[in-house]
Amino acid sequence: MQIRCRLGHFIALTGLLGTTPAYSRVYDHLFANHFETPADSPASDAEAARFLTQATFGPTKAEIARLRAIGYGEWLDEQLGMSATLERPNVEAVIDARTAGGQSVGQSQRHDRWFWVAAYAPDQLRQRMAWALSQIFVISDRSSQLSQYVVAMADYYDRLAIDAFGGYRSLLGDVTFHPMMGRYLSHYHNQKPSAATQPDENYAREVMQLFSVGLELRNLDFSLSGGVPVPTYDQTVITHTAKVFTGFTYSDAPTNPPNFYGGAITYAGTYSPMACWGTELFGAADKNMRHDITGDDGTTATPKTVLGGLTIAPNQTCHADVNDELDIIAGHMNVAPFISRQLIQRFVTSNPSPAYIQRAAEVFEDNGAPEHERGDLGAVIRAILTDSEARTAPATAEFGKLREPLLRLTALWRAWDAHAQPADAYGEVPMMAGTSFSLTNFAQRPLSSPTVFNFYLPDYQQPGTYADANLYSPEFQITNESTTYTAANTLYRFSASAYLGMANPKTDRPLLDLSALIANATNPGAMVDEANLRMLYGSMSPAMRTTLINMLANIGSSGGSSAANEKAWSLVYLISISPEYGAQR
Amino acid sequence: MTMMRKDRRGFLRGLACLAASGGAGALIPQLRMLGTALAQGTSFSDYKALVCVYLAGGNDAFNLLVPTDSTRYNAYVASRSGVYDPNTNPDGLALANAQLLSLTGASGSGSNNYGLHPAVPELRDLYDAQKLAFAVNVGTLLRPISKTEYNASAANRPAQLFSHSDQENLWHVGTAKDNTLGWCGTTIDALKPQFPPGNNTQLSPCISIAGANKVEIGSTVFPYQLSSSGLTSLSGVCNDAACGTGNTSRRDAAFNALLADSYASNLAAGEYAKVFQRGRDLYSLLNTGFAGSTITTPFPLNNDLGDQLLTVARMIKLSRTQNYAARQIYYVRLGGFDLHDNEMTAGNADHAALLTLVSQALGAFWNALGEIGAQNEVTTFTMSEFGRTLSSNGNGSDHGWGSIQFALGGAVLGGKLYADGGGVFTQFPDLSLDNAGNLSRGQFIPGIGLEQYAATLARWMGVDSTGLGTIFPNLHDFNASYLGFLG
Repeated sequence: MQIRCRLGHFIALTGLLGTTPAYSRVYDHLFANHFETPADSPASDAEAARFLTQATFGPTKAEIARLRAIGYGEWLDEQLGMSATLERPNVEAVIDARTAGGQSVGQSQRHDRWFWVAAYAPDQLRQRMAWALSQIFVISDRSSQLSQYVVAMADYYDRLAIDAFGGYRSLLGDVTFHPMMGRYLSHYHNQKPSAATQPDENYAREVMQLFSVGLELRNLDFSLSGGVPVPTYDQTVITHTAKVFTGFTYSDAPTNPPNFYGGAITYAGTYSPMACWGTELFGAADKNMRHDITGDDGTTATPKTVLGGLTIAPNQTCHADVNDELDIIAGHMNVAPFISRQLIQRFVTSNPSPAYIQRAAEVFEDNGAPEHERGDLGAVIRAILTDSEARTAPATAEFGKLREPLLRLTALWRAWDAHAQPADAYGEVPMMAGTSFSLTNFAQRPLSSPTVFNFYLPDYQQPGTYADANLYSPEFQITNESTTYTAANTLYRFSASAYLGMANPKTDRPLLDLSALIANATNPGAMVDEANLRMLYGSMSPAMRTTLINMLANIGSSGGSSAANEKAWSLVYLISISPEYGAQR
Repeated sequence: MTMMRKDRRGFLRGLACLAASGGAGALIPQLRMLGTALAQGTSFSDYKALVCVYLAGGNDAFNLLVPTDSTRYNAYVASRSGVYDPNTNPDGLALANAQLLSLTGASGSGSNNYGLHPAVPELRDLYDAQKLAFAVNVGTLLRPISKTEYNASAANRPAQLFSHSDQENLWHVGTAKDNTLGWCGTTIDALKPQFPPGNNTQLSPCISIAGANKVEIGSTVFPYQLSSSGLTSLSGVCNDAACGTGNTSRRDAAFNALLADSYASNLAAGEYAKVFQRGRDLYSLLNTGFAGSTITTPFPLNNDLGDQLLTVARMIKLSRTQNYAARQIYYVRLGGFDLHDNEMTAGNADHAALLTLVSQALGAFWNALGEIGAQNEVTTFTMSEFGRTLSSNGNGSDHGWGSIQFALGGAVLGGKLYADGGGVFTQFPDLSLDNAGNLSRGQFIPGIGLEQYAATLARWMGVDSTGLGTIFPNLHDFNASYLGFLG
């Protein structure tokens, strides 16, 4: 258990240096040992590449070497200590520059920045975690409530990245109070009951169904508690919980004189945590007091009975009510397995064993000595990636997952050290080949899912072998006769039409560096082996290797493109659309 | 047939495994008959198609069809927090009586006491032409129940009412108890034995223009997914026989070899290869024909549902010329109906805007079917996971239960409302709140079970009563095993 020893060593030292809060560990280079191969170093480049395929947006040669040099433990320490590369400052500057320059602005500025961060940011694990969290705590620019809020949506994503390794309860609070979530799930401007209206139930329902506990009681290994489906809540709980999420508005909605419907004057107004117009701001009888301070029976004589039969006292401020509610939700026994299982599905495998889920969930429940804290997301992702089920070479056909379609593109860029274009006159680095390809062609785009249920459901079962064996295959929900084609055509656009040394190089997308392949153009075996390491972490089947070598032997020049170039991009393109690259094991 | 099961997942696992191997007869004997010719009759000599229009989010259909006689209209207004006015009553959800589109319908139908949302003149015209019928107060039900029974025990009502994903799942399954298969898929399972020998065996009779869905999954069929942009060719490799011998054909040979490999030790790769290979095979089959299968009827611009239905019309045209299948089922979808917010605020995402899309798209689709002579052969119908609360949450509505759906086609006995399924509630519901037929915010206890509605459509396609009892296992708990809008 070398990893533990290394962590223990590290924690003891921070004891000497002063207490370091659990959620802000800083990697200390002084005591790192670089003079010999660490005991927890990957045994091969291939093993390192496989880990990085799980933990980043795709392995690079440099990162493979680094991981081998410092080992898993230090690599994770380093990543968990890195601060977040942000979207919002860049997106805001680009939007302002484009506006000043009379150019159109929209969500594509935010999408471009996401692709750049995925391809190039050093805090790769944090960004992968933010991406995973964005598929649980879903908001989407396909909602008319959000589509024009580009900067604020970038801020929401940044919040996921900043909170990625912190505490679950903090993340839940930040998500709840973010105006973009408020607008998306309609607790923004949600109000206490009137003669003709009742509080909107949207957030109350989805915060439980999708962000925390799910629909049925679960054990730590995600199996049904008691062996049969038992609902975690019913409609009555929803109605009571809806009362909690009332009174929200923009932080800069003026209070004197009060205008509940004002605010959002500046960018910061659109993304700063929402204010809540409860008794913290106005007297209970004031018409501006928008929060429902009553309990189950609509009076202040009863409490609000919410999840698990727990109660929230009447007559509290909005913040007290919301914080009590979020404490109750975050404290529920379902959260650990519900969140852990989905994180495993995003990073490692669609069908984790119950024991694997339980090991991760136990770390969620208690992150170990010395803090013994609950909800430490950094500890959970570390546990998920270092678990034997993730690190052991796959022993069964069903281990692993279909790679998320968008991650096939990011891994392609990173595998071949794609060179970024210079930023344009407005500060935007073009990543998307001038199109909004992502949603139509991959059926995925950052913060762009069709509904709050993400691009695919955790429980989706592809008809055929998966469904017959009762196995889950979320990413297959968006993989069909149409998207296999459109995703492949997009990968063509980013490989065959996007490499250094091509005739008439494009200027609207990253350019792959295929020099390592081009230099080996006379040695197809070496080409394939190099591509195998960078794209398939050394796992290419002998049959695929033979097929590709035979293909390369017969590819020649074409038009103005040399044989070497043709071989290089053909190899990369074919791998990018291959079944083995489509999977991740 | 009722099944007592302690472990739902175990049951589903068993059913799924057995269904795939054809041995599901051990679990549910009638299922064995779906794959054989003995239950049904001779080969179909005609063509029929169903088009399922899924309105995602929960369509507020009690604003689509509204009673206009003063007593009931006033109750509607009161429950819906008053007539909406952006200045004087922004909380309200009710439509102004003067704005509703008047109906004539079939003689004796009483349609003159109802009006339609102002955004749907095309639907109104189709209703008055007696090609469109409404199924009123349809929803997920284990069996007909009263409000007393609803309150008495959770066991009397479907699980997870008011949850989008769960209720949508039940609409796809076609019954109020979860299952692995969808009712359109199992309908095709039941009918395939009667497909004439000349039909194509490669192309699924179930076609989706709206991505993956459960409703079209049967034990012998799952949907072919086609996008509304039609078929695209695959870059860098061959797409037809005229590919030459250059680099493209080399890459193509390699790609074909990769798809044909065995992936016995890599499930994800193997399943991906299957999907891709299907796409390749069907591209070869369809591409030339689909490109040439044109429709001249104009379709509305910037209308995603219209785009999907145009593709359906083109595929129906091609399918009939090529004799692909005697029975087909299509799936299209329009989202955005979950109007907790800004339900009435004029714009491009409010209820009126969505209903405009639906009405214009269906109007064009009807005309396109006329162009290809298929109006009598195609029945289009809506589904939506639930209706919505009558009462307002301040600027929108929340999740309801029983709602109104509609069917459109030459075979439909239209111009009428169908509210009587022989259950507890048999009339257009009382639109007050918290009455004998609804809950505190006007969430309606359905009078018609969704299986009664779906069985009407499956029966029209040719499933006999034995088959219906298998596809809809709870159907026998309802007095009427189908509604009358398709004869």
